[in-house]
Amino acid sequence: MTIEPQLILLPILIPLLGAGVALLLRKRRPYQAGWSLGSMLLSCGVSLWLFVDVWQTGRPLVWQGGGWLAPFGITLVADILALFFVVMTQLVMVTGMVYALGSGDKAVKYPAFLVLFLTLCTGLTGAFMTGDIFNMYVFAELLVISGTVLTAISDDKFGTEAAYKYFYMSLLASFLMLLGIGCLYVSYGTLNMADLSGRIQAQPDGLLLLPAIGFLLATFMIKSAVFPFHFWQPDFHAASPTAVSAMLSSVVVKLGVYGFLRMTFLLFAAQAVQMRGLLLVLGLVGILFGGLSAIGTHNVKRMLAYSTLAQIGFILVGIGWGTPLALTAALVFAFNHSLIKAAMLMLAGFVASRASVKSAAFDVVTGVGRPLPAAGLLFFIGSLALAGIPPTSGFVSKLLLFSSGIEAAAFWPLLILGLFSILTLVYTMRAFMRIWWQEPAAGISTKPAGDHLLAPILLIGLILVLGIWASPLVEAAQAVSAWVADPAAYVAAVLGN
Amino acid sequence: MTQTTLLLAPLITLLLGTAVGFVFAHPTLNARLPITRQVWLLALFPLIAFIILLLPVSALNDGQIFLWRVEWLPPFGLQLGLYYDSWSALFALIITFIGVLIVIYAGQYFNGQQDAWRFQVYTLLFMTSMLGLVMAGDVLTLFIFWEGTSITSYLLIAYKYKDPEARAGAFRSLFITGGGGIALLAGLLFVSYVSGSTQWTDILSSGDRLRSSEFYTVMLALVAFGAFAKSAQFPAHIWLPGAMSAPTPASAYLHSATMVKAGIYLMARLNPALGFTSQWFFLLTVVGMATMLCGAYLGLKQKDLKGLLAYSTIAQLGILMLLIGQEDEESYKALVIGIVAHALYKSALFMVAGIIDHETGTRDITRLGGLRRAMPVSFAIALLAGLSMAGLPPMFGFLAKETLLAATLHPNLQPVLAAVSVFTGALMLAQAGLFVIDTFLGQPRDPTVHAHEAPQPMLLSPAIPAALSLIIVLLPGPKEESAFLAAAAAAAFGSKVKVSLALFHGLNAPLLLSIIAITLGSVIWYFRWPLRAWQDRLGAAFTFNRLYAGVLVAMDKGGYVATRLQQGKLRTYLVIMILAAVSLVFFFMGWPTYSLAGLTWPGLDFPGEMALLRFFSLLVVTGSALATLVLNRDFYAILAMSAMGLGTAVWFVLEPAPDVALVQIVVDILSLVILVLTLAKLPRAQRLKAQRMRWAERPSRPLLLRDAIASIAIGCVVALITLTALTSRPRLSQVTPYYIANAKEETGAADIVGAIIVDFRAMDTLIEITVFSLAGLGVFTLLNYAARTHGDHAQGEKKVRRTFSTLGIGGRRASPFLRAPAYALLPVALVLGIVQMMFGHDQPGDGFTAGVVIGLAVALWYVVFGYTETRARLPWLRASVLIAVGVLLAIVNGIIVTLFTDHFLGNMDYGELVGLPLPGGFHISSSFLFEIAICLAVLGSATHMLNALGHPGEEEEGTA
Repeated sequence: MTIEPQLILLPILIPLLGAGVALLLRKRRPYQAGWSLGSMLLSCGVSLWLFVDVWQTGRPLVWQGGGWLAPFGITLVADILALFFVVMTQLVMVTGMVYALGSGDKAVKYPAFLVLFLTLCTGLTGAFMTGDIFNMYVFAELLVISGTVLTAISDDKFGTEAAYKYFYMSLLASFLMLLGIGCLYVSYGTLNMADLSGRIQAQPDGLLLLPAIGFLLATFMIKSAVFPFHFWQPDFHAASPTAVSAMLSSVVVKLGVYGFLRMTFLLFAAQAVQMRGLLLVLGLVGILFGGLSAIGTHNVKRMLAYSTLAQIGFILVGIGWGTPLALTAALVFAFNHSLIKAAMLMLAGFVASRASVKSAAFDVVTGVGRPLPAAGLLFFIGSLALAGIPPTSGFVSKLLLFSSGIEAAAFWPLLILGLFSILTLVYTMRAFMRIWWQEPAAGISTKPAGDHLLAPILLIGLILVLGIWASPLVEAAQAVSAWVADPAAYVAAVLGN
Repeated sequence: MTQTTLLLAPLITLLLGTAVGFVFAHPTLNARLPITRQVWLLALFPLIAFIILLLPVSALNDGQIFLWRVEWLPPFGLQLGLYYDSWSALFALIITFIGVLIVIYAGQYFNGQQDAWRFQVYTLLFMTSMLGLVMAGDVLTLFIFWEGTSITSYLLIAYKYKDPEARAGAFRSLFITGGGGIALLAGLLFVSYVSGSTQWTDILSSGDRLRSSEFYTVMLALVAFGAFAKSAQFPAHIWLPGAMSAPTPASAYLHSATMVKAGIYLMARLNPALGFTSQWFFLLTVVGMATMLCGAYLGLKQKDLKGLLAYSTIAQLGILMLLIGQEDEESYKALVIGIVAHALYKSALFMVAGIIDHETGTRDITRLGGLRRAMPVSFAIALLAGLSMAGLPPMFGFLAKETLLAATLHPNLQPVLAAVSVFTGALMLAQAGLFVIDTFLGQPRDPTVHAHEAPQPMLLSPAIPAALSLIIVLLPGPKEESAFLAAAAAAAFGSKVKVSLALFHGLNAPLLLSIIAITLGSVIWYFRWPLRAWQDRLGAAFTFNRLYAGVLVAMDKGGYVATRLQQGKLRTYLVIMILAAVSLVFFFMGWPTYSLAGLTWPGLDFPGEMALLRFFSLLVVTGSALATLVLNRDFYAILAMSAMGLGTAVWFVLEPAPDVALVQIVVDILSLVILVLTLAKLPRAQRLKAQRMRWAERPSRPLLLRDAIASIAIGCVVALITLTALTSRPRLSQVTPYYIANAKEETGAADIVGAIIVDFRAMDTLIEITVFSLAGLGVFTLLNYAARTHGDHAQGEKKVRRTFSTLGIGGRRASPFLRAPAYALLPVALVLGIVQMMFGHDQPGDGFTAGVVIGLAVALWYVVFGYTETRARLPWLRASVLIAVGVLLAIVNGIIVTLFTDHFLGNMDYGELVGLPLPGGFHISSSFLFEIAICLAVLGSATHMLNALGHPGEEEEGTA
């Protein structure tokens, strides 16, 4: 037995350990900031290294919790799918922390902020990496409590209300997930996902299998803010601290996407056709609904939140088509969307921090961007990326998704997809024109100082790099999609036979 | 010069130019070198590009094609590349040549403007994209640059971004060309999917496969839509007049000579692959004709010089599109001549319009007139270009019209095509008349308009293309010219085309038609004012502008409706989500078809005397659950909830699950205490008001019904599932037998629940204690930090210092009868907690219950002694430290075990390792340390909550 499988704990333990130490350093702000950022960077680096390692060896690393072999202990599985999402998460969360450290908000200076930020990262990373469905529930709880508190303590006094709503809706998700897990445990007597997969295949008429699918699907739809489970998403963003909303709308919503992948390929392969059809339809509805809502709203951050609904819709369409190419497209789309949406929300937050009243409402931020050309350029590039226009990474996503639709000969969805994707251009460009070009309303001026632009610069830079030098990400996604299509390899790796 | 350098050098040169242009953003540099002089430097870049592109022309005339490729997405075999043949060269040369003129012209146009560097940067960026577009070697490269031109065009149109009209025009053009772009992408991907390659070289040779594909119509429609949107074809033409809000140099460049020809370029490029079908013919011919007529007709009624030019451009683009559709040698000859002629005269006219605007301050035809005296050079330029536009000899435009008319004598649709072309030609002649005669000749119409001649460099730019319009035909010099055009036409057509630039071909049908067109045009010009008045009266009952506006309004309406759903009420959200979740479950499960008769009634066959107890606790649970709904005092509702929890605990005891029961009891009590303390924090008046409002605001009947339906739905689903789960007992757990068999031996735990918590599923526990800790930390941060920011605090904190939380119950010092037991209880709780941790592995009770028990004792302290005294007497009780140490201890413990056993969170007996003699049943093992960690974290979290609730700063004024 080598020590190697223990290493996959690092992306979970480094932030968690970091959180513990950051709590001890709560009265020494500079040390706490440095330590937290260091932990995030280290953890991100380790995840990237693990990803490359697993990609190259072609087999996952499996941690059998405490030496109790699956299915008896808790298993963490660092397969390439999980690590893909982990790398995405940690990359974006590093920039999120950079933004938080450069932010003028009061909330980010509370002793607990960075601690909670790190646990948010732990929760999300763990939820991706775990191979045990109940353990996923526990990690999701960590995610929810961190997100809730981070929002509640926002400078905006509506933060508490937003957090309250988020918490309740997440509680509903937890409840549904628990029901789903219960159904599976009653039917198959195990919680290990690999074990479940094998047993479900062996005995496809499990007593409560079908309701479990419904419950879990609903859970992940809440997590990913899929219409009509999206309600927590928009209300949350206007009030949440920028660094937090940038994480929740970019990487946290990907938990659901990850869940759909695991469900359709690993757990419930027999019902995959039904699930895919559903995801396709809901994805298309989400694209329309999210796009229209983004046009109809009066706040940049809310607009971007609605945009997430639409963008998740694109990803769901990819999952719904389910071909290897479509899957690659969905993964690339998910990765790029995380970067883009985080950057855009940070830029919206940046603008809000320079507005005379700290708010992202159009009434307040109209014209505020005029003296801020650098942020304007970044926002413009971000808008292009969101709309899938080259040379940004968003174009690569759109290109792959369209190609996969053509390959899958899915004309009608493709037509609807194309028709609705113009909405993205409409709302982002309108927002850009309002903030950077339009005349500010009387009495509105731009404050001389606000949040720091470094984090969005990093993200937008990455978006451009991934738009031009796209092959590493695409090849990685392709490897992931090939791996996902072979659930037997996953099961064998976990159960060791 | 290798192919690679030849192809890349122009693009890189232009990019360099962009970078140099950007350097002038620097204020001192900009002040040192004004824009009028910057441009001489900047114009060098397109000039160099032009020269490089000109070098291989003779090779191109021989039919050589220059290629360059680079891998982009190797997994999908996607490459980016360049492709330079005569057809590309035709456009590339126009782009760079006119580009030089525009850059110089713009320097004068923006004379004295500090931020004109933006214009130069956008223009050079556009030039790069446009050049890349026509030199693209595959559909991807083409699309990338295609979108690049859309974006830079958007930026140029909105150059004067403070002007709402400029923004609206820019947005409209982006909306239409962007929409076209999406269609184009899909169309091109279809083309490459069917042909199996993205490269022009392969696509152009797989015409047969494409035409016989079942997707032919789809891909043709998509590609054509993209091209039509870009080239302002009817009905997508509406963006072009709006784009006239761009600065005139941009209009002259993008919206006449270059960008709008991108669609022409693409369709002709694809002709060998997609053309030669009846769909192609009819699509291009019909759209082209509609565009011609629409542009020519609407152009006549324009007041704005630029508007007039915009519509005549639309008409010309229609002509070109129509020519592509004709599929014969003659039409492709007309196509290349038309492109060159139009690029020359239209850019000159636009620049003249810019000069007029610049020097007189207006572009309104009805206000201008008699400018020839003040602006003789401009007049000469306008006259030359105008003659060419009118199609009069001896201009290049005449030749273009001749060849066009010759081409319209196509066997299909001959009379219609010829008639439409003649009519359009006539209208364009009239428009040229409007531009030249009515502006420069006659008398000034508006005495307030003062004119003077433009500076020489500004005149130079339009003079060159205007002069070329004449020179090319007068001096049909080297054979290369016509050979080059012939090669370009052949590249697009797919087979050989003969081009001669001779002006006079003898008396033939085209000449006759031309004479008709000129006569008719003169008549129209003569009657221009009555005609325009008639046009204005006729108005436009339906224009496509309205359609565009309608689409936007529809989007806004849709957005309004969609955002209505997000109305902010958690209740509604939850109802929708619950109903959706229930539907999902039924979607997969199908409608339940169980018959109750088949079920064995579960679990109610209680053995013996326990039956009564179970029944009692069931009653307590359901009764108190109902009570929480109907009790309207918050305090009673909380008590009822607590009773429900305790009733559940009884049920657990009887199950028998003593561990779970114990946890349930202590958690229940802790939450009761915290809730009550929270209530005590709220001012009584506020609480009562909230209660009254809560019960006064009865929801309406439909709302109640809605909520009831949702509740019943989810209730039924859960009941159904529980029932199914219960009746199918004994369920087959895979893991429990293993735990029972191995717990004692492997972990040293007699109690498998304990073993599960700290050994088998230790990761769950580690994360759960973090969750619990964060809850406490969160409450503390929210109340002690954020609430302050939110302004929830009374301002004068000092005034309310002496409250119950500082001193004890009711703001008074508690009596010794209370203080003594409270004092004594803490050590007892500590001992109890330690015992629970020591034997947690074998007995009910563990680190969690230990933490809660100690926490409860501390809670009593807070109530009895008050905040200040408790904090003073228990200095070790530092919540954040407890949490941090707890979580860190758990992790460090795990790491230490890893060092010995290679398993993080594994099990190891430290005592055994060092050989400590210990009392029976107690082990200093990793499990024990883990229990301590749990206890610390839980205690820390509870303390945080108590601290937050008991902090005197929290106290509202008036409760003291």
